[in-house]
Amino acid sequence: MKKALQITRMFKPRRIFLALIQIGILYIFSFVGSFLGKLLHLNFPGSLIGMGILFILLRLEIFPYNWVVIGGNWLLAELLLFFIPSVVAIMQYIQFLHQDGLDLFIIILISTVAVMVSSGLTAEMITRKGGKAL
Amino acid sequence: MSEFVGFISVVLTIIFYYSSKALYGRIRFVLFSPLLIAPAALVIGLLTLHISYSSYIIGGKWLSVLLQPAIVAFALPLYKHYELLKKYFPEIILSVLVGTLSAFLSSALLGLGANFEPQIILSLAPRSVTTPIAIDVSNNLGGIPSLTAVFVIFTGLMGLVIGPLVIRFLHLRSPIAKGVLLGTGAHGCGTSAALSLGSLEGTIASLAMIFAGLATIILAPVIFPLLLKL
Repeated sequence: MKKALQITRMFKPRRIFLALIQIGILYIFSFVGSFLGKLLHLNFPGSLIGMGILFILLRLEIFPYNWVVIGGNWLLAELLLFFIPSVVAIMQYIQFLHQDGLDLFIIILISTVAVMVSSGLTAEMITRKGGKAL
Repeated sequence: MSEFVGFISVVLTIIFYYSSKALYGRIRFVLFSPLLIAPAALVIGLLTLHISYSSYIIGGKWLSVLLQPAIVAFALPLYKHYELLKKYFPEIILSVLVGTLSAFLSSALLGLGANFEPQIILSLAPRSVTTPIAIDVSNNLGGIPSLTAVFVIFTGLMGLVIGPLVIRFLHLRSPIAKGVLLGTGAHGCGTSAALSLGSLEGTIASLAMIFAGLATIILAPVIFPLLLKL
């Protein structure tokens, strides 16, 4: 019952409308970000510059958190959805992957484990030493 | 006609995504991740119906476009957990740097060891960071950007599966370490896995992902040419 209520609250037309507008606002930030990046010859994706701008505006309390929180949280919750088309792109490389896929799979596996172990252990060691462990 | 296929592609992608997400909610097993099941169903469907990727992406690109505002939206957790981030800033930066360097080193050594051409190794180099940055770095290094995009996704999928296993194997307890591990190792996919562990882990992971991206942009063009001369 509680869950059903939550769902109806989630699909309220007003909320969907607000989310769409807020996603539009967030998109404008990434657009401005890529414009500034080109203008200043920064070698940075526009979306990251846009994120920096939004963060600074939020911190300076120029831009209210409430104006983007519904759309923003929806985007973050459904992050995997936006990666699906790039995963489907694998079908273009079936030939190449058929040939070298196993080698690449092993390289990426070992390398990913290496990155995870080294970064995770470094962080764990520092937080333990610093006595700041949670 | 192709617009129609594009439209159906978007609708089917969304339907597959939400049904696999519901399935994953019931069966919490990594191989049931929406990022594996949904694309697998789509690829099988497209191949059986002889629909090309270029027709699929006419619609699919509308979902990829949303990655832009989604990255901007990472400003929200950064803002909300600002005090925490300030407190753990040195830990995060240092671990991300160590992780980024081991990504470069392991890609170069393993790639050379397997006798891959430099172009393939350069496409592997930026694969642990988020797609827009990885593509950009691959382009600058002289790699093949579309292949890098595939490697990035490979890494993300693998990170989703092995990330939680590595955390368990290393007996990591600090949420900082868990977040850093997932964000540095598997970009946005790892971050979404970290968000499911907790909002602190998720925030740290998103910060680690951002810093790993920045470190890769700055360090890859300096370090990679040297590594390839080994």
